Amino acid sequence: MSSANFPANDLLRRRLQTSLTIVTLTLSVASTLFLLLFSSRLGVGISTTTGTLTQGLSAIFSQFILFIGVLIFAVGTVLTSFIVFLMMAQRTRDFGLIKAAGCPNNLVAGYFMTELLTVTAVGCVLGIVFGFLADLVSASLVFSAYTPPNFWFAILVFIVFFILALGFGVQPILKAARMPPIKALSPVNYYGLTSTTKHKAMSRSGLTWRLATRSLFRRQSTSIRIVILLSIVFILLTVSIAGGIIASGTTTSWIQKPFGDNSIVVAYDSMGNQYEHLLSKFSGPKETGVFQYSDPSLAIPNSVIERLNSLSSVDLVDSRLVVDGTVQEVSNFTVNPDTLETIPVGDSREGNSIVIGVDPSQLAGAWSIEGRFLGGDGTLEAVIGDSISHTMYAPNPSRRVVLSNPLVQSIRFQNNTFPIVGICVDPINNGYVTYVKLKTLENITGISNSNLLLVKLNPTTDRNSAIGEIRNTIQAVNSDLDVFDLSMIIDKNTSFLSSTWQTVMLLPLFTLISAALSLVGYMMLAVDEQHQEFAVLRAVGAKPRIIPAVSAIQSAIVLVSSFVVGICLGVIITLLILMANPLVTSFTVVEIAAWLVAALLGMFVLSLYPAYRMAKTSILKIMT
Amino acid sequence: MAAEQDTIIHIEALTKTYQIGDEKLEVLKDINLQILKAKFVILAGPSGSGKTTLLNIICGIDRPTTGKILVNDLDLTKQDEDALSDFRCSQVGFVFQSYNLVSTLTVAENVAFPMEWKRKPEDEIEQRVNELLQTVGLQQRANHFPAQLSGGEQQRVAFARALANDPPIVLADEPTGNLDLKNAQKIVQVLQFLKSKGKTVIVSTHDLEIRQLADQVFCLEEGRLATSNE
Repeated sequence: MSSANFPANDLLRRRLQTSLTIVTLTLSVASTLFLLLFSSRLGVGISTTTGTLTQGLSAIFSQFILFIGVLIFAVGTVLTSFIVFLMMAQRTRDFGLIKAAGCPNNLVAGYFMTELLTVTAVGCVLGIVFGFLADLVSASLVFSAYTPPNFWFAILVFIVFFILALGFGVQPILKAARMPPIKALSPVNYYGLTSTTKHKAMSRSGLTWRLATRSLFRRQSTSIRIVILLSIVFILLTVSIAGGIIASGTTTSWIQKPFGDNSIVVAYDSMGNQYEHLLSKFSGPKETGVFQYSDPSLAIPNSVIERLNSLSSVDLVDSRLVVDGTVQEVSNFTVNPDTLETIPVGDSREGNSIVIGVDPSQLAGAWSIEGRFLGGDGTLEAVIGDSISHTMYAPNPSRRVVLSNPLVQSIRFQNNTFPIVGICVDPINNGYVTYVKLKTLENITGISNSNLLLVKLNPTTDRNSAIGEIRNTIQAVNSDLDVFDLSMIIDKNTSFLSSTWQTVMLLPLFTLISAALSLVGYMMLAVDEQHQEFAVLRAVGAKPRIIPAVSAIQSAIVLVSSFVVGICLGVIITLLILMANPLVTSFTVVEIAAWLVAALLGMFVLSLYPAYRMAKTSILKIMT
Repeated sequence: MAAEQDTIIHIEALTKTYQIGDEKLEVLKDINLQILKAKFVILAGPSGSGKTTLLNIICGIDRPTTGKILVNDLDLTKQDEDALSDFRCSQVGFVFQSYNLVSTLTVAENVAFPMEWKRKPEDEIEQRVNELLQTVGLQQRANHFPAQLSGGEQQRVAFARALANDPPIVLADEPTGNLDLKNAQKIVQVLQFLKSKGKTVIVSTHDLEIRQLADQVFCLEEGRLATSNE
């Protein structure tokens, strides 16, 4: 065998370990690249790239994905360092053997460097390929139009992870190269063992437990690394699973609430269709063209409202005047309490908005709101949608807008200034909406009648018969009036939001697979380190099941300690940082717990594979 | 008839072949032998003659390719892994050339663990461990780990472990192979003790001092039983 072929042959000889290392590195790189590509498509500025979601929800996604991104990157770096550490830890003894046989230091270091380079390069290249494939699949599932990915991300991820893997891998190689062969051959070095502590001559604890725990604590450095890695993985899982489920439920309720439960719309045909268009913008961009909201023919006669109110199937009629137009930001000032200096807040930016006049005492829906809804004493007050807040009222250093806060500013519409009392999440017109009091808007626009009615149905009546009754009632006044059941649009919006969350959940799944594989790698090291002892135990009469039993205890200790740390930190992060006013029901808690326990059990079962493999091997084969 | 009743190990037409790549390596060829109870038996022969393989098969660590082996009337070729484990735990004590102690267990625990599998009471285990360590002269080293012992001491612990469940058969593979003269003599004393206790002892060795204890010597050459001296 020529010396040049040694690294390749050596990697092929250790096929399982080599492929495990490559697969883990591949998954680590792929999940990180996928995250970056996915977040560039979805999380950051989704409203501007796809025209879907409101800016507030887009910001929640961005925050969520950014947080998971940081954790995935942390997992990736710890995982990469762990994998190369494991790879080299398993090779230190070979290092000693080759050196003992007389191979020069630089040559043996060269062999292992070549192996490291090969594994790292293959892992990173495959990771990039699979990252792109995952992006392609997710993009075609979530987005209707596929746009080419940002290839710069691939270069960035490849360089960072390649350097990271080499950096962590070279250290043990150099350490082993400097080590005398006798030391490299010692288990103390090649397994990173630490000296044993004092024990009693005879422990009362069970033999299997003793073997498992002592061996685990003897490999302190490796055990600590795997606990750190898995703790980060469980934080990530908790944040993504719990956060994802909570955020999904909470945000879904946000986009359902403004329309109200069991509500329908009554309007003239064109107005009703236009309202549908405005709602459907949330889940897919649609051109609505120019629409004349102030067209007098859209005005709904008061008699219609009176007749509807008299129906037993109607709980409430929410009269609305919907118009559109240009709105302007109105700046304000605040005083620095320390210096008493006056600081400008906001600017005078402009934008388009749907302006909806509502009667605060007759609302069919409700909003997730920062601040409060209309209803104060003042006639001039407004609640703006989250998209207006995130665009027109966002700090903008290029315009020298350092401080911006809609709740201390106002909004101007048709020369009237409305102090902003709240910011709401509303899917209508993708959150580019301004709510004012109905009477005020009627006075400003000179339109005396509503052009849209949101009718809340009595929950005790049959929905279809109620709609039929309402249709007959309104068409008795004017046959052009109609009923619009917008539940399909609302369902479409919630499905879109759910599918977006589900796609985000692919990220922790990738990382979970990576972590599970690295746990298998760790268990392989643990089983390998104990192979002589397992062989002796079996030779002296232990049944084959002692090997999985010892492994199971070690795996359980590592997993449970990581699980506890990860879950505690994950829950704190989820509830305190990721989501304000989370919607947590008992079903949510059960769902989250079920997912996390399933992940824990899955990892536990997978980690026992190396032990089961060894248990099926003959004693003599284990010994040699 | 009396000899048949006293036979503890019966081997008939036994062969062992290893497959290495495309090649077949025949390590044991048509072995036929009988070992009587309470005899001290030496397996002799040059390195590579198949002594260790034969010992491994007798103690149920390895299986023959063909042939028959009965130990205490138990046909080892027909036992599953769990049954072989029980057999190794109670019927034979095995001492390896390279000691093979469990590094994470103390000396006392190394001696005790075969008894733990038999679910003996803790007091009984402790008493037996003390007794065995006294026999091999290591009672002061009970709470030490194997790494803290010399080679000779480790080998004596291995003998103590082999005797833990008081098996009728003790097998030792080159027990003095890695030891100096002084430590080897201590092992010979242990073997003498076993002989005096009426154990069936089978030792693979080149050590002349151990050979002097032999009731029976089997000599293997290139996998065949060359001679048998009583």
